[in-house]
Order: sequence, then C-alpha cells, then structure tokens
Amino acid sequence: MFDLLSEMFNYAFMRRAFVVTTILSASVAPVGAFLVLRRLSLAGEAMAHAITPGVVIGFVTAGLSVMSLLFGGLIAGLGVAVLTAYLARNTILRSDASLASLYLIALAIGIFILSAAGSAVPLKSFLFGSILGVDDASMILVGGVATVTLVTFALILRPLIMSTCDPVFFESQVKRPWIVDQGFMFLLVLNLLAAFKTLGTLMAVGLMILPATAARYWSGTITAQLGLGFIFSLLSCWLGLTLSYVLPETPSGPAIVLVAGAIFVLSALFGPLGLRGRFSATKRP
Amino acid sequence: MPPVVSIENLSLGFGDVTLFDGLNCDVKPGSILAVVGANGSGKSTFVKTLLGLQSPMNGRIEWPTGKPAEIGYLAQLTEFDRRFPIRVRDLAAMGAWQGFNPFAGLNKTTRNRVDAALEMAGILDLADQPLHTLSGGQLQRALFSRVIMQDAPLILLDEPFSAVDQYTEQHLLSVIETWQSEGRAVIMVLHDLSAVLDHCTHALLLGNGRASFGTANDILTSDRLVAQGYMSSSQASWMFRGQTNGGKR
Repeated sequence: MFDLLSEMFNYAFMRRAFVVTTILSASVAPVGAFLVLRRLSLAGEAMAHAITPGVVIGFVTAGLSVMSLLFGGLIAGLGVAVLTAYLARNTILRSDASLASLYLIALAIGIFILSAAGSAVPLKSFLFGSILGVDDASMILVGGVATVTLVTFALILRPLIMSTCDPVFFESQVKRPWIVDQGFMFLLVLNLLAAFKTLGTLMAVGLMILPATAARYWSGTITAQLGLGFIFSLLSCWLGLTLSYVLPETPSGPAIVLVAGAIFVLSALFGPLGLRGRFSATKRP
Repeated sequence: MPPVVSIENLSLGFGDVTLFDGLNCDVKPGSILAVVGANGSGKSTFVKTLLGLQSPMNGRIEWPTGKPAEIGYLAQLTEFDRRFPIRVRDLAAMGAWQGFNPFAGLNKTTRNRVDAALEMAGILDLADQPLHTLSGGQLQRALFSRVIMQDAPLILLDEPFSAVDQYTEQHLLSVIETWQSEGRAVIMVLHDLSAVLDHCTHALLLGNGRASFGTANDILTSDRLVAQGYMSSSQASWMFRGQTNGGKR
C-alpha cells in the first residue's frame, strides 16, 4: 500500500490530479447539494450536455486552451439557462421541458461540430476526462472557480436556502428573486467547466450529484449535508484516481464516479434516512 | 390613528379577466381583516398584490405611515419543500434573515428571539427537530414562529388553518389576537366563517366581480354571501337559520 502510494506520488501528473480534485471537491460539493435540494439533479446533467457546443466551438477555433473552454462553455451554458428561464416564464412549457428541448439541440450542435472537425479532437478524453490533461492553466481555472464559488456561496447561502425551501416566501422578501436562481445556474456552469478536464462532459455531474445524494441519507441539517457532501466528494476523487492509476486503461472520470456510486449505494442501505432508516415518504409528505 | 394600508379604487385581474374592481378600504393598526370568497375570486391575488408580487389593473395602494420595511407573510404550502434539511429553529430564524451577517452565525439576541417566537407558537420543545419529522399542525406553528420573527406592522396570512386541527387553530388564533393587542394589522384569507365572525374585526368579501368591505358582522350576511357566489341560498338558509335580520348573525 505504502509502495503504491509512494510510486503514484512520484509522478507529477498524479500529484497535480490529487491537488486539483481536492480543490474541485470543495467547489462542486455545495453546488451538488443545492442541485439535489432544488430538485435539479437531472437539470445538472442536462446542463453538462448544454455546454458541449460552446466547448467544442472554443476547441475548434482556439484549440484546447483553458480560456476557449471557459468562454465557450459559459456562453453556451448561460445561454441555455437564460433561454430556459425565459421560455418557462413566458410560454406553456415548464422549465424541465424547456431545458430538455434546448440541451438536446445544444448537444446535437456540439456533436455535429465535433464530428465535422474530424479526428483532431481527442474524443475519449473529451467525454471521460483525463488526469494527464491537468496542466498549470487547468489548475488555475479550478482554483479560480473554487474561489468564486465559495465566496459567492457564503454571500448567497441564506437566500439560496430560503428560495429552495420556500420559494413563495422568498419572492415576498426580495425585489429580484431571479438573481439567486440565475446566480446559482452561473455557479453550476462554472463548476461543470472546472470539472471538465478531470471528469469529462459525461461524468462532470457525477461528482456533484452522487456525493450530495449520498450525504442526504445521513443529514438532517444543511450544515451536515454540505460537510458530508464535501467529504464524500473528496473520498471519491482520491480513491477514484488511485483506481485509475492501478488500472492504467481506466479513464479518471468513470473511476471517480464509480467510487461515488459505491458510497451512494452504501448510504442508501445504511444511512438513517435511507432504506433501513425510519424515513417513509408515505408517512410524511 | 392612520391606517397601515389604504386601498383606493383597486381592480385586480389577469389579461382580459377582471376578478373584482372598485375596492376601497383602510386597514388600521390593531384590526383583523378576513378575506372571504369563492375559489378563484381573487383572495390570494389580493394578498400577493399587497406584497408587491403582482400589479393591480387599476387603483392605488397607499401606505400613509410609510411602506413597512417588513410585511409578515404566510403563504399557502403548495411550493414549500417539507423535506428540506433544516431544523425548526432555522426556519423560524428565516423571518429575520435580512439583518444577518452572511459570514457569521446568529448572535445571542437573535437566538433568544427565535426561542421566544417558538415558545409563543407552542413548539419550543421541537426547536431542534428537522422539518420532515413535523406533522401538518406543527409545521404551521413553525411557520407562525417565522412570521413572529418578522416583527412586522402588517401581517398577511393565506389560509393559515387549512391543514391544522381545532386545538392548533385555537392556539394560532390566540397568537393572532396577541398581534392585534400589540397594534399590528392582520389580513388573512379564511374559509371558516365562524372563525371570521368570532375573531375578525373586518371582512372583505370577494366574488362575482365584486368586492365588499366593512365590519365582519355587516359583510357576512346570507344575502351578500349568496349574491357574491360564496354559497347557495339553501346553504345560507341552513347556516343562518333562525335569523330574520337579513341574515346577520
């Protein structure tokens, strides 16, 4: 065990991967917790697909640089988020149906451009992530995103809790309630982009949702939910990276998400609000 | 004493549909106004208009003593997430959130105020329970404690007793009467006419495009309740049986 660790940490790319996923865990844990609590778990997945065309266009026009990824992804993600909110407010479609329609269009555009660009695109690392891809610029991106995310969360935590738990009351309290909703979507897109290099577009949401849903089985308070979500996220990254090192052909993204999945299954089985606990949706609404 | 809110020639509706028009009423400190009406007559819309969440079609809402910084509000529970992981005391504290430091916990004064609010609502013993363990009545008490924390001169309650038992309703009515004695104005949407007649000073009856405002006894007559579509004439004659003064109770 010790030999494995010392051998693994001899490689600079592994050291970088551990550092970057540790910071990433601190950043994605609160976003994941509120995705779950706001009943947006599937919307998070949809948003991960929605950023694809922006990321691909950024890649095709400016190469696989952090800035092209960031700007392309932000424009596509926020574009879809704003259009979804607009359609939900002004047409008969609810936000889930609007988002589903728009992300499918965005995903198709992304794959269309990706295919047209030919073999120059490293498709596997694009979809599943690659720990080898963590360069200095990626580390700065993840560090920057984590800083913005944690400071913003400190500022909007109480309004976010209120708008999630009791949206009608929250709307009665503030003049522009949409700022919190759209601010949260901005953090979601930002964190998806930060998770993109290590986890890939298909798996980026996994590190947000699974630790958060697993934590939900253990926690009766928001503080416990946020803290446990971070710990589970961290464990998933560390064990997942080790797994992907031991099995060299395994991409890091699925390995990390599989460990998170195992934590979820154990939590569902043994958590006090899980299958063996006393919570019952038929007894309490 | 000047009214907390003064409503002049108010019309409410959506698009081409007018719910009611021409409402004039003053709500004074220490009064309890019941808003009564059939489903879809505009009761919740009226409450949301006072909160500024919806715009009137016509008319004005004036605040003679200045618009209150805080309006106490208890909405219907349609969008409330009862599985959200917070404790009862956290829900109560939400009522005073605007004054909190985002980078710090609650100070001792606020924590004491939360305890006092929970005590007044009769659920201090449940302070550390997560919300999902509460019954409907306990949750409504917790939401009342949040309104208490808002410490507002005007309090709006939208169907506050729709999911609670008689015992809880009595307790919550005593809380409302405490607010009245403290000089706060309370406006609440109610369906229970006997509670309106026993506890409310004024009533606003909505229905069939009209809005009638006055003292509870003057407004809730069988003639008006039938004319404004709140109940059928046979229901009214059963409810007001034995009364001959135009249906006044």
